[in-house]
Amino acid sequence: MLKKIISAGFALVLVTAAPSYAAQGIPKRIISLSPSATEDLFAIGAGAQVIAVDDYSNFPAEAPMTKLSAFTPNVEAIVAYHPDLVILNADATKAQDIKNALEKLKIIVFVEHAPTALSQAYTEITALGRATGNISGAQTVISNMKSKISQIVSASRRHKPLNVFHELDSTLYSASSTTFIGHVYADFKLTNIADGAAKADDAGYPQLQSEYVIKTNPQVIFLSDAQDGVSAADVAKRPGWAGISAVKNKHIIALPQDIPSRWGPRLVDFYQTISNAIGKIG
Amino acid sequence: MVFGKRDNQELRSIWDWRITAAAALLLLFIGLLGISFGPLSLRFDQIFRTILGLPNGLTEQERGVLLDLRLPRVLLAALVGGALATSGAVYQAVFRNPLADPYLLGAASGAGLGATIAITNAHGNLYGLLPVFAFCGAILAVLVGFFISGKFFAEPNSLLLSGIAVGSFATAVQTYLQQRHSASLRPVYSWILGQLTAASWQVVAWSSIYILIAISILISISKQLDGLMLTDEEAYSLGINPNRIRIIAVVAATLATATAVAASGLIGFVGIVVPHLVRGISHRVTNRALPTIALVGASFLVLADLGARTLLSPAELPIGVITAFVGAPFFLVVLRRKRLVNQ
Repeated sequence: MLKKIISAGFALVLVTAAPSYAAQGIPKRIISLSPSATEDLFAIGAGAQVIAVDDYSNFPAEAPMTKLSAFTPNVEAIVAYHPDLVILNADATKAQDIKNALEKLKIIVFVEHAPTALSQAYTEITALGRATGNISGAQTVISNMKSKISQIVSASRRHKPLNVFHELDSTLYSASSTTFIGHVYADFKLTNIADGAAKADDAGYPQLQSEYVIKTNPQVIFLSDAQDGVSAADVAKRPGWAGISAVKNKHIIALPQDIPSRWGPRLVDFYQTISNAIGKIG
Repeated sequence: MVFGKRDNQELRSIWDWRITAAAALLLLFIGLLGISFGPLSLRFDQIFRTILGLPNGLTEQERGVLLDLRLPRVLLAALVGGALATSGAVYQAVFRNPLADPYLLGAASGAGLGATIAITNAHGNLYGLLPVFAFCGAILAVLVGFFISGKFFAEPNSLLLSGIAVGSFATAVQTYLQQRHSASLRPVYSWILGQLTAASWQVVAWSSIYILIAISILISISKQLDGLMLTDEEAYSLGINPNRIRIIAVVAATLATATAVAASGLIGFVGIVVPHLVRGISHRVTNRALPTIALVGASFLVLADLGARTLLSPAELPIGVITAFVGAPFFLVVLRRKRLVNQ
């Protein structure tokens, strides 16, 4: 309950904090320094207003990818594009200083915070809709996402508990239920084995011990490191892992590239992948 | 000190081998502790039954955890700890500098660069080759420093300085790569803090070859290493060629360090703490302590790894955090006692 109140409060702040454009009009030269925001912008119909995106914004294909860094933004490089709105991630290096510098140059800055729940992802889409003058587009995207996700989740409702392991990298970092990724698994009422170690990291990303994974015997393993080259065969070869249920029954799922780490419209694909995977298990 | 004379009485005054025996027992005991604890609780009697091959041991899965996960991990910790402690002691002798550690000549920075290249390379999947990259990086960095210094034969300090310069250069390139690939920050960072999570029989097999050879070489020249404590002229008069010994020592210690780093990342502080600890407790400054230093280093790292596995269990803690957290205060106590003795 408390969590809900906090996230509702957070959503309120985010929406009200989004600058109002009554005076300046609708922004026509947007720079997105966030791969998720880029996906959102194109989905809500603001794509034509976007003039540049950062070097990790690889979706959709028509997004004007540049060498701009979202991780260590450079004010001069940004200004060179003459933007009127810049979307900046709050976790970027010196985000506050970058924001101040851009605002001094009369550029509007939209600071995006990484969400920890689906509701916050929707809030960001709404806020981007307001900031870019695409309110109805944003509403359509959100209602589509909501209905598809609830359909997927209700179609794969399970009665038996299911242990899952979401692997971030081959050194066994994982995401517990307090994280954005973890919430997705929690929506399916799956048992996330990382929760047993959730206290180890207050951001919710503990590094699990191999022995613990064996002990908890996950029935499905999701590889978000598949994009880094980790395969089901690599997982099966790890010492002592041959007896794990997911390995024995070949329920190791390579997650599509970038999908689990983007909080945009393609989240639906993430839900669908999980649904397909657990649908195969009785 | 008399060299080359095999007089038992004389040897005992240089080194008391009962300390070595005690260190071996300590390692055995800590090793048993190491394989006994983990997220999966195994019963002691069943562990012993399994190890001794008696019936009524562990289930197949428990056996797998014990024999394929914990045992190689404890062995790797022992090998790495032994390698780092021995190399540290040898570097201290060669450079006549109590602050010397195994990473002094740029091995750590070189290995860090190699590992970062393997992690950040997005195209070919080089992650599996990380140990090879780290190993080559460490060796290359030391070699470059060695050739740049040129004056090594006359002046160990110039090797030390060029090692530091090469190290800084490698760190700069490594940091640049890391900045260019922000997604690699976490794996690079956890590699730099050192971890034994990758332990498997395969890693134990290849690392034990290099490490055991290197440690054997170092132990076999321990008498001559003592000669390096004298001036070069005095060493010559005892029939020791100091430059030859220095080169053999640096090559073997670098081999041991590079292997340890390739297998487990950058585990700090072992190479400084353990040699001084052994010298402080035994009140003797001689390289005949090398076998003991290796054993105590092995025990220290097995114990630290046990902490890394249990403190946040079932999550992992980088072992480097523990070695420094426990090692630094302990080291200060020994240093203080030593100073009081000297006064």
